[in-house]
Amino acid sequence: MYIGTEQLTHTYMPGTPFATKALQDITFSLQQGCFALIIGPSGSGKSTLIQHLNGLLKPTAGRVFFAGQSIGSDKQALLGLRKKIGLVFQMPEEQFFAETVYDEIAFAPRNQGLTENEVEERVNNAFEKTGLQSASLLKRHPFQLSAGQKRLVAIAAVLSLNPEVLILDEPTVALDLDSRDHLFNLLAQLNQEEGLTIIISTHHLDHVAALADTALVLKQGQLMLAGSLDEVFSRRKALYEMGLSLPAVTEIMHSLAERGLPVSTCVYTMQKAKQEILAAKKRG
Amino acid sequence: MARSITMGQYIPGVSIIHQLNPRFKLLTLVLILALLFLLETFGALVVSLGMALALFAMAGVPFKYLLRGLRPVLYISIFALIIYFFFTSGGVVLFRIGFLTVESEGGEQGIFIIARLVVLVLFSLLVTLTTTPLSLTHGMAYFLSPLQRLGLPTEEVAMIMAVALRFIPTLMEESQRLMRAQLARGADFETGSIFKRARNLVPLIVPLFVSAFRRADELAIAMEARGFRIGAKRTRMQDDLITFKDWAALVITLALIVLVLIFNL
Repeated sequence: MYIGTEQLTHTYMPGTPFATKALQDITFSLQQGCFALIIGPSGSGKSTLIQHLNGLLKPTAGRVFFAGQSIGSDKQALLGLRKKIGLVFQMPEEQFFAETVYDEIAFAPRNQGLTENEVEERVNNAFEKTGLQSASLLKRHPFQLSAGQKRLVAIAAVLSLNPEVLILDEPTVALDLDSRDHLFNLLAQLNQEEGLTIIISTHHLDHVAALADTALVLKQGQLMLAGSLDEVFSRRKALYEMGLSLPAVTEIMHSLAERGLPVSTCVYTMQKAKQEILAAKKRG
Repeated sequence: MARSITMGQYIPGVSIIHQLNPRFKLLTLVLILALLFLLETFGALVVSLGMALALFAMAGVPFKYLLRGLRPVLYISIFALIIYFFFTSGGVVLFRIGFLTVESEGGEQGIFIIARLVVLVLFSLLVTLTTTPLSLTHGMAYFLSPLQRLGLPTEEVAMIMAVALRFIPTLMEESQRLMRAQLARGADFETGSIFKRARNLVPLIVPLFVSAFRRADELAIAMEARGFRIGAKRTRMQDDLITFKDWAALVITLALIVLVLIFNL
């Protein structure tokens, strides 16, 4: 009961002919320190849900809670909340406005009214965590960086808030494979070593599945499945009907199991798959 | 996230008023507006007000949009009424304040002018509420097309208008998204002195410009890739066909104009 919602409903442009219900009756809660996936096809309400979690959008009905408290509309409380819950938007590099990478990352701590010394410490800290090489990058213009570097800088610009929870909306969109792997390693590290609660929205389940422990599945604004990753991924048919496919490795394990090889289907990495298959062969 | 955003004042609908060809709507609107300026009796104004309301009912536009559209007229009306009351002479003296005398003639004239203005705005609203801005643009471009002979690029102007209209909701959505993204980073757009607030807008305006220029580039390339050339003859994917309904609407309008003119006698 760390972060979650109760019967959250959100309607865009209520009371007009353009009213659209983006979320309907969503109830869930996540544990502190978890690594959760919010899964759903595009247009299923993932981004809308995520923006409720740090009070950027207000529920039309229901409530959102964090650390035992309802998220209200009090301005000071919201500012405090947004320090604890960092949100990285989709394509976050589109928010860049500063002249140097340093200033970009320093924006959030400066907004908190910290001294320049504290700001510098936060910037260096956040920059180091992302694993970006060479501190000379800090003096470059953000637009000069590669796509992967930009994404990491955008994440550092939120990490500099020192959040307890890090939420990322489709963090791997438009990234090449190396950058994606680097990003996933970073997230795993933040989750395991720093104890950050991490929530990712995605519609692509390959690779992230190996990192996560919890999953929520949205479809057309409704919460279809929720629970541990293994539970949710065992509902292969239900996912398939929603237009979602399991990670390729997991699909293979399911196929093998169907053909009679005694293997576990809760397998999300190649390595684990190899072990499982070899073990099954040995037994068989 | 595909989600519609109010564009101009248009309210989607399937009524016969919505279906009419924008050219005919504009033409009848001009005729009706001309008529309204000819009116001199309250009787005729009341009949045209009734016509306007009947058309709103036909279009199925919710009443609140009608009120919302009339709100800007309110202030002008109050102002005009005061001017007319105090500065027009004639008729029965109602009361005096110092050197100012308020006479009934001024009141009558003032109310008449305002009533005419209200009816005028109602008819214009009917067109803007039931026609997409894009159709309106194309309708206007049609009437302006004779100016092409004088070398005016009316087609291109219509194209620019259409593109601008197309991107207004996109940019609105983008600016809202950016605002939320910077709020998530602790930005503050609401407090502080006016200078501080202006400076606080930098994190919003810079990315908005960057993306607007990027979009403009992409659009230009996409248009050229599809063979767009300045000055070439253009056709539309959905041409506004002229149907029997349009001619019928025009004839009915003309008949009603004659009817109102009879009341005006």
